[in-house]
Amino acid sequence: MFEFLFKYRPLVFEQGDFAFGAPASVRLWLAVAGILGVVAVATYTMAKGRSGRVDRSVMATVRVVLLGLVLFCLLQPMLILTSVVPQQNFLAILVDDSRSMQLPDADERPRSDFVQQAFTPGESELLEQLSERFTLRFFRFSDHAARIASPAELTFEGTHTDLGGALDIAREELSGVPLSGIVMVTDGADNSAEALTEALVPLQAAAVPVFTVGLGEESISPDIEVGRVELPRTVLEGSSLIVDVVVTQTGFGRRTVPVIVEDDTRILGQEEVQLGPDGEPVVARVSFEMDLAGPRRVRFRIPVQEGERVDRNNAREVQIEVRGEREKILYFEGEPRFEVKFIRRAVTDDENVQIVILQRTAENKFLRLDVDDADELQGGFPRTREELYRYRALILGSVEASFFTHDQLQMIADFVAERGGGLLMLGGRSAFAEGGWTGTPVEDVMPVVLEDSTAAPGETFAEVKVAPTPAGLIHPAVQLGDEEGDVADRWRALPAVTVVNALWDIKPGATALLTGTSDNLPRDQIVLSHQRYGRGKAIALTIQDSWLWQMHADVPVDDESHETLWRQLLRWLVDGVPEAVVAALDRETVEAGEPVRVVATVEDSSYIEVNDASVTARVTTPSGAIEQVPVEWTVERDGEYAVEYVPTEDGEYEIEVTATRGDETLGSDVTFLHTAPSDDEYFSAGRRTQTLRRIAEETGGQFYTQDDVGSLPEDISVTGAGVTLVEERDLWDMPGLFLLMLILMGGEWGYRRVRGLI
Amino acid sequence: MRRPSRASTALAVIGIPFIVGSCSAEREWDEPASTPLASTADPNLSPSNLSPAVIRTPEARPLPLDEPPGRHAFYWTRAIYTGTRNGWWGGRGNGAWATDYPKGDRQFLVVLERLVRLDAFDYENAVSLADPAIRHFPLIYAVEVGHMDLTKEEIHGLRDYLNAGGFLIVDDFWGSYEWAQFEYNIRQVLPGRPIVDLSLDHPIFSAYYKIDEIKQVPARGRGIAGRPTWERDGVTPHVRGIFDDDGRLMVVINWNTDLGDAWEWAEDPWYPLEYSTYAYEIGANMIVYGMSH
Repeated sequence: MFEFLFKYRPLVFEQGDFAFGAPASVRLWLAVAGILGVVAVATYTMAKGRSGRVDRSVMATVRVVLLGLVLFCLLQPMLILTSVVPQQNFLAILVDDSRSMQLPDADERPRSDFVQQAFTPGESELLEQLSERFTLRFFRFSDHAARIASPAELTFEGTHTDLGGALDIAREELSGVPLSGIVMVTDGADNSAEALTEALVPLQAAAVPVFTVGLGEESISPDIEVGRVELPRTVLEGSSLIVDVVVTQTGFGRRTVPVIVEDDTRILGQEEVQLGPDGEPVVARVSFEMDLAGPRRVRFRIPVQEGERVDRNNAREVQIEVRGEREKILYFEGEPRFEVKFIRRAVTDDENVQIVILQRTAENKFLRLDVDDADELQGGFPRTREELYRYRALILGSVEASFFTHDQLQMIADFVAERGGGLLMLGGRSAFAEGGWTGTPVEDVMPVVLEDSTAAPGETFAEVKVAPTPAGLIHPAVQLGDEEGDVADRWRALPAVTVVNALWDIKPGATALLTGTSDNLPRDQIVLSHQRYGRGKAIALTIQDSWLWQMHADVPVDDESHETLWRQLLRWLVDGVPEAVVAALDRETVEAGEPVRVVATVEDSSYIEVNDASVTARVTTPSGAIEQVPVEWTVERDGEYAVEYVPTEDGEYEIEVTATRGDETLGSDVTFLHTAPSDDEYFSAGRRTQTLRRIAEETGGQFYTQDDVGSLPEDISVTGAGVTLVEERDLWDMPGLFLLMLILMGGEWGYRRVRGLI
Repeated sequence: MRRPSRASTALAVIGIPFIVGSCSAEREWDEPASTPLASTADPNLSPSNLSPAVIRTPEARPLPLDEPPGRHAFYWTRAIYTGTRNGWWGGRGNGAWATDYPKGDRQFLVVLERLVRLDAFDYENAVSLADPAIRHFPLIYAVEVGHMDLTKEEIHGLRDYLNAGGFLIVDDFWGSYEWAQFEYNIRQVLPGRPIVDLSLDHPIFSAYYKIDEIKQVPARGRGIAGRPTWERDGVTPHVRGIFDDDGRLMVVINWNTDLGDAWEWAEDPWYPLEYSTYAYEIGANMIVYGMSH
């Protein structure tokens, strides 16, 4: 309708500059207009007859407007446009070649049908119009983009969609020719890890507009989809995990479905989840235990519901390495305390946690327990980084800060910040502020705020009843019960314990998991809290007698709360602590033939980055063949080595990265690559209108759907870049103007008839 | 790692008179004839008549009752049990459990705190085996167990205590008869668990001091008189133990020896330093071991 009334589409008005083509000066024309207006008004004012003042005013106004319109047309209004010169410019047409283009829409026709319909030579009016104006260059894109001669080469078998990468490739390939714009035909379901902004900035700088054509429905209904699942890369054998699974759905509102967690051989856990109102995602919290060492593929699955449009987005697989090693933790206790005995007892059956005890029993006299050899800790607390960094975590009991040298205090802080180790501080008469830790480097590491304590040691004393905070209720380390709702009850049933350190606040960024209440304390005691610090984590457990949760008469003898808590605490403490050599992949699952980037970070025993190491990846393929792949220093980052590897078989690849320097082996790490057909394209496969609109708007292009794509050729002509010319387009002959004149004249005539003036 | 020398222990022991004052000149009598096994206990000595968990005697200075234990890391806790006779010395009139109570307890703590870096409550603490409060104290001490005659409540209390992780040190009983009495009672507590001799390579003999020989520590009278150190047919001293299913030591039994007397009378210039030194050494070892294993 707009185009019918105003001759051109709104985009043309947006792009053009308004001007008058009449040769004389505007002042002259305005004077003529003024005279005509005065004459018209005077004519009506002085006229005698039956008409009243109101009638004359109305008719005078109509007549003046009519005269104004005539005058406007005589001025020759026009739009001055910059439009591309036909056949002098190139136009890139990027077509999504990924599997999501095979998904059927509501009419059961796949999205790819539109591509074939719109870009088949000889059959498509759109293609014809574009060809008349531009030299076309076609690209296919999925995870990579490449030039193709014609859309007939498209297969729609790509395993990923990388919009930004495709724009980069097209821009770079056509950087030497006049480029009017880029047409991107896609559903927009980007699943790459790269940020789109990085691809848009160069396009903005080069003034290349992108015209996006969105295909498919925004919402696929009915459908259930398992959202992204976050799991640690490695866990200790026997660790309990609590994982949030986001379930999105349309058309299955309020239905209850199971979320099943399984590996290759068995079901690890299951949780019933009630879906929310139609279209709203819900979070299902599933807990399970990883009790078998080795690489595991864990699948989170919702059974396919009847009528689902897409059934391949009902399961997510995550690779996880279950470590069977024994993680070594150093527990330094400043005096004989029963915590030592009961913590040892709690984890004695845990084959994956080894607590080495160093207990001061007198000045410069230490009891060493569970050491590996006679030399370990022979000199007391470690004095060198090499000695301390052998441990993955450090527990500090009731020991005053003045026991340590300043270097040792700094070393403890660096143990967390640089080595990435876990630090757990326990309550006690010589811990925290009461132990003189205020103002030391370790104070910064602690997640709790040390109060300015003027109290004498032992003066702060209270019995506290411990309860989980909302964050604690969902934290795996403090789960004592099997059922989610059970956690608070289990904690309520445990007896009170005691504190001798006043700790009431956590630091910004820290999280409190347990708090304690007491009539003798002015505020709730922070009992368990944690924070990230540098590469590692720090945890504060501020009670001094957790052993009461094992010994107290209110706790049944066979109760496992104390053991469970400590096993979970210590596993959490060592979880994610890096080795000196760490191997990682940019993608854990690829298809055969797709490259994967193997990245290794290499540090020495003091955890200082090493750039002159010899690094090799030993790749064991699914068929058992072994390849040795050298891994080179990236130069961009200290201690970072990388290589691109292309798997050729489906199955599990084991990649062991070993770093050496001279005769010294710095370390090795193993990671696993799963090669299989990918289902990524079936997740979040609805049309991403917002993404496509953003690409267009930020580059000066337009967003289209299949329905309005017909105007694309003309729009590119007036908005595109490249070789352009200035064009004048008349506006005086807009049908809307003449229609308005007719309405005004008819209106005046009608008014006279109604008022009996004719 | 340095270990304190024997001499330092001896010096600590010698210093006791200056800390706790001069000793009494009263001498211990030889024990009366043994009572038969499972004899009827004197109801007046039953812990149920002792109030509340903590015993108050004119000399005793119990825990403050208005706050829970926990202000200190360690409470030297004496087990109150039903017995067949009164205790000796300070404990006289309070049952066999109270032998040497409370002087022995206080004096042991004085030296212990000088030897070991330990945050200990300075006074005695006696709790009934049948009292749930005993579970606040993971290490307890029982003497004169040759006169033990546990009630059902005490049997259950001690069994749960040990199974929960508690550690029991037994001392000061002599000869086969008293052994039989103790064994009868402890087997009711821990039926089916073997009682074994601890060899000198057991960690309890090196937890703090390195002990190369199990010495027989005589009662005060025999030590001063220089008479044979044994009593009745208890010629050979033993350190025995009872272990749980995971091989953890639950009970350590000092039989044919009287560590408590050596602790109590260490300040007596006539009592041989050799025995009191040894008693404090193995006492420190048992405490350090019991708090860490």
